[in-house]
Amino acid sequence: MKRVQLEIILGTVFVLLSAAIMIVLGIREPQRLADYEVQQRAEEIEFGASVFVTNCTRCHGTQAQGITGIAPSLRDNHFFTQRIAEVGWGAGLEDYIVSVVTTGRQVSTRPQLYVGGGTPAMPTWSEKFGGPLRDDQIRAVAAFIMNFEPYALGQVPTVEPLLPVVDESTPEGRGQVVFLQAGCNACHTISGLSTGTIGPVLDGVGLRAATRVEGLTAEEYIHQSIIEPSAYVVEGYADGLMPQTFAETLTEEQIADLIAFLLTLQ
Amino acid sequence: MLNALRQRFNIPPRNEWRSWIGKMIDERVRIITAGLSIKELRAVVRGDPPTEKPNPRYKVITTSFIAHLRPRYYPAASTWFTHTFRLGWFTTFFFIVETLTGVILMVYYIPFPDQAYGSILEIESNVFFGELMRDAHRLGAEGMVIFSWLHLLRTYFTGSYKGPRTFTWLTGVLLLLITAWLSFTGYLLPWDQLAYWAVTVGTSITDSGPVVGPALNILMRGAPDIGTGGLLRFYLQHVILFPLIAILFISIHYYKVAREHSISLPAVIEETEITQEEKKEANRRIDLIPDLLSHEIFLISIGTFALLAILYFRLFNSPLETHANPQATPLDTKAPWYFWWLQGMLKIDPASIIENLVNPLFEMVGISFRLELSKLLNSKFIMGLVVPPGLVLLLMAIPYIDRNPSRLARNRPFAIAWGLAWVFIVIALSYMGTPQYGIETPPATRIIQDLAPEEGEGPLRLIPYAELQQGIYVVGEDYGDDLCPGLAYQPNPEEDVNNVVIGCPHLTAVFEQFSERLLEAEAEGGLPDLNARLIVEQLQANMFRVTPHVEWSDPITGDAKAYEHTYYLHEDRAREE
Ligand code: HEC
Ligand code: HEC
Ligand code: HEM
Repeated sequence: MKRVQLEIILGTVFVLLSAAIMIVLGIREPQRLADYEVQQRAEEIEFGASVFVTNCTRCHGTQAQGITGIAPSLRDNHFFTQRIAEVGWGAGLEDYIVSVVTTGRQVSTRPQLYVGGGTPAMPTWSEKFGGPLRDDQIRAVAAFIMNFEPYALGQVPTVEPLLPVVDESTPEGRGQVVFLQAGCNACHTISGLSTGTIGPVLDGVGLRAATRVEGLTAEEYIHQSIIEPSAYVVEGYADGLMPQTFAETLTEEQIADLIAFLLTLQ
Repeated sequence: MLNALRQRFNIPPRNEWRSWIGKMIDERVRIITAGLSIKELRAVVRGDPPTEKPNPRYKVITTSFIAHLRPRYYPAASTWFTHTFRLGWFTTFFFIVETLTGVILMVYYIPFPDQAYGSILEIESNVFFGELMRDAHRLGAEGMVIFSWLHLLRTYFTGSYKGPRTFTWLTGVLLLLITAWLSFTGYLLPWDQLAYWAVTVGTSITDSGPVVGPALNILMRGAPDIGTGGLLRFYLQHVILFPLIAILFISIHYYKVAREHSISLPAVIEETEITQEEKKEANRRIDLIPDLLSHEIFLISIGTFALLAILYFRLFNSPLETHANPQATPLDTKAPWYFWWLQGMLKIDPASIIENLVNPLFEMVGISFRLELSKLLNSKFIMGLVVPPGLVLLLMAIPYIDRNPSRLARNRPFAIAWGLAWVFIVIALSYMGTPQYGIETPPATRIIQDLAPEEGEGPLRLIPYAELQQGIYVVGEDYGDDLCPGLAYQPNPEEDVNNVVIGCPHLTAVFEQFSERLLEAEAEGGLPDLNARLIVEQLQANMFRVTPHVEWSDPITGDAKAYEHTYYLHEDRAREE
């Protein structure tokens, strides 16, 4: 066979194979596009979770469950079924989230319930208005919040959040659990445990507690700080920021454990 | 009336119509083919000899614009496959692939930082054949880089840069630079972490230059940091300026070959004793029409098929990392692999090498003087801005340095050895340029990174969703053979109902790898007082949060240290093994 004949035969085979590949790819393409979109949404939600954790947990809680007195839950039934009607928002919930997060909230719509960071209640998040987040990050965080829907509507039973490993047989260990459960972590930083910034850093509180108020021991002072925060307001912080309700929401035993835990922060 | 029309249009009597129409068609065909009649076309396709004299197939080359860029013929021996390997040809092929796919991508791509990444996602998820176009463009770019390097090596080893081809070589070196710059500017466009940081690191090289260095950096980036201005500059260079420059230089380069000095004859033909017969055969003309053209159509079919087959079998996939984030420097910034040699070179610090060589000598001789070159020489400046342009100049100067007239390999042992040495140097430098080489990462960070890199898959991300079981798994504790004996699932119930996995082998393997490497590092003294755990939490109905967490005390200062990284694993995220 002459070389050119061989080339003609092989060339024809290659062209036919190429066409076959294109046809197969073309048939599969709609499915691929659909799969990619699902995958893309999953990645967006994952990304949104990380944005949420770095920016939002200090007010809305580590699992978006909200913090009493600070900011509302973003995963409860009320938020998913009634909230947009309540504020008179015309479009969908996801758009509502994007819009609120983009601009922030100068004043809370429910000031007696959620004060947030004061004024503004929630800062502006969009880069466009001086915030730290890009548009795609805001859309991702909205996608993440929307993904709580099965929990919020009760379609799937909620899984109890995990707590750090501590020795729960000691009061200090139990106290650490209470610290996280009661949401103290939202406002207070303790190295290695929490990152809240609204209240003072509690590292070393076990030492300074004894010197805060004359006549009160460290134990008594911390007890007072928890059940009656306004009795002594730490310098540089506004009165009334720390919720006044812990005396009712926590049992005496839990408060004792908390105190034991805080006293270990020397 | 009819007669008037007939006269007006020169229509012959009815019995002459056949030949009259035939002639008219033939005339049109000659105009379109720039000189070939229908009969001639038929002969071309059938491989018959020319039907007219002078040979009308040569006429095409003078009259047609496209064809005039092509050679009339090549001597048979210079078309030997083992002489050129069609490397230059395939470089051109890839350039054309890039142009075609690039124009399509341009329709969808938006060159602004807040939309660029989204438009790439759009191409991948919402444009029919969008992923194919993007992958082909990216693969074609790598092909063009590879083939232009191989083509350079071929012309070097066959000594084709000598004699009348010195200028061709020079334009070739320029084409190599243009190719590199095209791929570098294109690298930024997806605006993901990979793109942003590779280009930030790349452009920062100019910063070390004296006087104009920082200005040059600003000129490229459009601002101190790459932003809207920088992206637009890179985009315009990538889609307009450098394609035009490439077309210009490819034309010059190719015109030299095609119309001036032809492809070199293999040195065995020109420089060794061969029979008259062989000589005649070697110089036999291989005409453009039809032989070279038919061969090129064959090459196009191979090239297209190879590209499509690679993409069909997913042997190549364009990377797309997370959105560019100027605030978060990734642990490993990755230049494209064909720039690793440059990155490797930047890891060399010539000043300290010289110091380490010279200062011990001073000490031996008893001179108290110590050379302190590092204070004078900025290694980034030397290795980034002095050496690479020097190498390019060296490459350009090769035809003028190598004055040996022979192109036969056995007559130029030095040039061949020198070429091979450079191939090895570039490979060694590339190895040094791999992201991990010579970069110390603290053990805890490295171990977690190996488990789950910031970008891409890694064993942790590949754990099947069904195996994720909420829990805190403490390193050093004994969990038996499996972390979740109470778990069972069917990996793909549609295909195989009977396939049931008991427990969580993948999660267990990841935890074991995590534990083993940490305990190893602890035993080696890198992580004293190790306290580590793998935390798996269900965050949402279809998403888990996995946090490898490590605490230790600093081996030197004794300070308490901690490192952790959080990963989110959504059920719908594809996990390809
Ligand atoms: C400084 C505390 C604070 C931070 C940080 C914060 N928020 Fe808020 N957020 C609030 C307050 C206060 C409100 C207002 C509640 C109201 O108006 O009743 C609010 C309201 C919202 C709402 C509307 C809720 C509703 O029921 O109308 C959304 C959605 C929201 N935040 C999302 C986020 C996201 C996402 C982040 C992180 C990027 C975030 N928030 C960070 C305090 C905060
Ligand atoms: C809404 C934010 C917020 C929450 C939630 C909160 N605190 Fe506070 N906390 C503050 C602020 C603000 C201060 C400082 C002003 C003051 O003393 O009232 C403070 C002060 C304290 C102090 C005194 C610190 C010192 O240096 O003297 C203690 C102790 C304390 N909080 C413990 C707790 C505990 C325990 C919890 C959880 C049960 C908790 N806080 C929840 C905001 C908060
Ligand atoms: C975009 C990049 C390039 C393109 C498109 C290109 C294209 C071509 C083509 C089509 C040929 C005809 C012969 C063949 O196919 O091998 C050729 C020949 C040649 N090229 Fe290139 N080339 C490129 C880069 C280079 C480089 C980087 C060099 C070397 C520095 C180079 C040096 C030469 C030389 C010396 C010849 C003549 C070869 C001979 O006569 O044997 N070219 N080029």
